Amino acid sequence: MRRDTQHVLLVLLGGALLRIAADDTYLRYVRPSHRWLLLTAGAVIVGLAVVALLRDRAGPPAHEHAGHTPWLLLAPVLVIALVAPPALGADAVGRAGSANPVVDGSDVFDPLPPGGPAELPVAEFVQRAIFDDGGSLAGREVVLTGFVVRRGAAVELARLTIACCAADARPHRVRLVGDLDDPAADTWLRVRGVLQEGSATAAAGYVPALSVTSARAIPPPPDPYEY
Amino acid sequence: MHVFCGVLLTAILARPLLVDALSVPVLQTAATVFVAICVQALPFLVLGVLLSGAIAAFVSPAVLRRVLPARPAAAVPVAGAAGLVLPGCECASVPVARRLIGQGVPDAAALAFLLAAPAVNPVVLVATAVAFPGEPRMVLARAVGSLATACVTGWLWQRLGRAEWIARRAAAAHAVNGGRWAVLAETARHDLVSAGGFLVIGAAAAAALAVLVPPAWTEALAGQLLLAVLVMALLAVVLALCSEADAFVAASLTTLPLLPRLVFLVVGPAVDVKLIALQAGTFGRAFAARFAPLTFAVAVGCAVVAGLVLL
Repeated sequence: MRRDTQHVLLVLLGGALLRIAADDTYLRYVRPSHRWLLLTAGAVIVGLAVVALLRDRAGPPAHEHAGHTPWLLLAPVLVIALVAPPALGADAVGRAGSANPVVDGSDVFDPLPPGGPAELPVAEFVQRAIFDDGGSLAGREVVLTGFVVRRGAAVELARLTIACCAADARPHRVRLVGDLDDPAADTWLRVRGVLQEGSATAAAGYVPALSVTSARAIPPPPDPYEY
Repeated sequence: MHVFCGVLLTAILARPLLVDALSVPVLQTAATVFVAICVQALPFLVLGVLLSGAIAAFVSPAVLRRVLPARPAAAVPVAGAAGLVLPGCECASVPVARRLIGQGVPDAAALAFLLAAPAVNPVVLVATAVAFPGEPRMVLARAVGSLATACVTGWLWQRLGRAEWIARRAAAAHAVNGGRWAVLAETARHDLVSAGGFLVIGAAAAAALAVLVPPAWTEALAGQLLLAVLVMALLAVVLALCSEADAFVAASLTTLPLLPRLVFLVVGPAVDVKLIALQAGTFGRAFAARFAPLTFAVAVGCAVVAGLVLL
């Protein structure tokens, strides 16, 4: 690959990073705190290319051939520019096995804020349902936001938790029980309901069941993951 | 440049086909994971190439010789411990290790740094502590296991390794006319272009394996310790998780005892498909073909010993 082609490629690559960090697109792939990393890296990549371009124009360009592998840098650029794949959804949840991840030692829970229905992350709801001996969820109405996963006839509400990027996503799932009008997979729902106590057993794969009092389809949120 | 424009034009014209192909759920999942790994790793690769450029521009071989012990056997643990201060993940350490070799650091010491830097830095250890709230010994075992992996591999390489296995074209510093900042910029740019393509290969391999490896792998392992250790070691290689995130994945696999999960944490930052691709591109295929299996064996061994003693 010739030097001038390399420069153009680097500008495109840096531009792609800046582009996805400019709006909420980057949230499909990495956690929110990565935004400034992407902006810095994108700016540095573009900067390196521009500096090299200016130096090449000023003096006789150094001849070098870096082989063919740099061409591969075009792959992420094209995928981002042309397709921008959506955040992980029901397909990824289906691939992750049939049980909820359980984290040892998280059995100390603060009481839920008093008052009306408590808005909880799906992951926290699942951990409370499995471990909380204090009964903070007993008879308490909660509001959960997630997307639909179909498992046979059962309808589940799922949300993926990421630590760094979408490659390390772990799903948390809640079985929805009640009057739902057959939502399609990957539909985002805001559901209100009450935990069916004792439902998150090992036999059930630690998937708690929620008696749904109301469910409303919503547009996908800008940050699709929990962190 | 004509070829380049041709590729771009074809891709844009073929966009409807591409969008169609990627609407299949499994390909969509793989594409998202692919972009996620690239996007997540690129800032760290940029940090690595900038550090590499800074070493080329500002740290002369003479300075490095003064800082490091003269005997390679003693330089290995010093270089490994130096990994404590580079708060990045594995993508950042490959270009830095290559530049260290270019500046005259013994191969074995630079490789010990390569293995230690992503595994024992403060960010990774804190992440591990957060992921395993009730198990502080997990953090200690991970640090000891990873540091041991780096040192043992370094010493073995010093004994058994041959200089010609490392592609010297990679190590040769580029003759750049101009000031030190020009050297920094040109070295960083060159390293980025040559390593970036291999990062893409690694990301693609990891994305493919992420959708191909059946989840039953980990679910069927409860109670079979030996098999669990082996499978978790292999999973660490094929999943290519960032070393700052792998602890959270390991913590979620609660059906397994701690030992196989420790193996997962020690092997992952030392050898995975993304790293193998990066190393093949940076140091040559002859190097990667020998270094990857060596590291894998040493990492599994060190993790098991550290786990048996400390957990």
